[in-house]
Amino acid sequence: MDSLTKLWLSTGLANFESGQVIMMVVGCVLLYLAIARNFEPLLLLPMGFGAILTNIPGAGFSEAGGFLYYIYHGGIETGIFPLVIFMGVGAMTDFGALIANPKTLFLGAAAQTGIFATLFGAIALNAVPGIEFTLKDASAIAIIGGADGPTAIFLATKLAPELLGAIAVAAYSYMALVPIIQPPIMRALTTEDERKIEMAQLRPVTKVEKVVFPLAVLLMTIFFLPAATPLVGMFCLGNLMRECGVVDRLSSTVQNELINITTIFLGLGVGSKLSAEAFLNIETLGILALGAVAFSIGTASGVLMAKTMNKFSKVPINPLIGAAGVSAVPMAARVANKVGLEANPHNFLLMHAMGPNVAGVLGSAVAAGILLALVG
Amino acid sequence: MEHLNQLFVEAGTLLVTGMVCVFAFLGLLVIFINTVLAKLAIKFPDAVVQTKPQRPTKQKSYAAKGISPNVVAAITSAVSQYRQQHSQQPNSKK
Repeated sequence: MDSLTKLWLSTGLANFESGQVIMMVVGCVLLYLAIARNFEPLLLLPMGFGAILTNIPGAGFSEAGGFLYYIYHGGIETGIFPLVIFMGVGAMTDFGALIANPKTLFLGAAAQTGIFATLFGAIALNAVPGIEFTLKDASAIAIIGGADGPTAIFLATKLAPELLGAIAVAAYSYMALVPIIQPPIMRALTTEDERKIEMAQLRPVTKVEKVVFPLAVLLMTIFFLPAATPLVGMFCLGNLMRECGVVDRLSSTVQNELINITTIFLGLGVGSKLSAEAFLNIETLGILALGAVAFSIGTASGVLMAKTMNKFSKVPINPLIGAAGVSAVPMAARVANKVGLEANPHNFLLMHAMGPNVAGVLGSAVAAGILLALVG
Repeated sequence: MEHLNQLFVEAGTLLVTGMVCVFAFLGLLVIFINTVLAKLAIKFPDAVVQTKPQRPTKQKSYAAKGISPNVVAAITSAVSQYRQQHSQQPNSKK
């Protein structure tokens, strides 16, 4: 009888707590979104599974000595995984559209308003009983507005590691929801005529320009914002591998195998932070709400900046491409193209929107560097 | 409440400083692209890949084999005449 009792006590059924069950359901919801809805499946699938694993009673996945414990502390807390992923993103990024039309960098800059404006929202939430966000917490939450997963994770691990799970879930959820969140804002802030604007064809960009560009970005970061060099540096390294043309094997590895392997571990590591005690609280609700606000402000700022530039520019600028200033590459550019095509079936904005889109990646990395330098 | 006000002031400072820095950084990049990169593009244009013309190679090979260019021209002319005649035949039948 004692053996049976001992066996029963070692089962999951005997040890489950309600919080763990709820978090397993949250993990299943993430799996559903990834598999059935195709929402950022590459990250949400391992993240959802990580959430299930970490909440298994008695398995000790996230306790000292556990598998997820080592993944988190070895790869995420140290900042290695987000940086490796940023290197892969750099290797996949073509700066051609940006170099051909450099003014679009201002659209990427304007869209970062979402990050800094959300700081106010996060601090205002302190008025709600049960919520207590410091300026560091607020900064880590606000970076969701950059719509850049690795940057959000990198900054959260440095400024507010206890909020990492909620911030990562919010960042990737809203990135997946870009096609739903952005179009209403874009339509509300532009007229039919503005959406129909056709843009001039981009000039061809030479190889020399593409090789020098990442080196110049790195040099400027070293001079003016060294706090952002981990992110920008890895991004530029990946981009240089792509453009120099002499290390195609490395470039291919970084773009494929390395980023895929790292994404698996990053997802599992972030999922390990989705424990009941860390996630099931009112602060998570606040973070999810603030993420949506940050995203919306970023989109609106980009569109408004593009409208303003269109008024003063000699060459026409379709304001829709401003929405691509929130990084979310290439989803935000595709959305701009789609909304443009709805207004004018002959208007293909994809290449034009890629300029602000990759500018947004740089902008959010710069914004993260500024927050690290001033708040960290 | 005073603590909250202080946090708002700090957030305001961050907003202004942050946006000024982001615009300044990316603005410098715009200037760099418009000046340095634009000049580099003119000075070092991409090399145009030229496809080797087929005929000179053939002629070279004929010459290398010791066949006179006149003979090659005569054969070419004969072949083209033959082709013309045979390509016209189906049309003439119509």
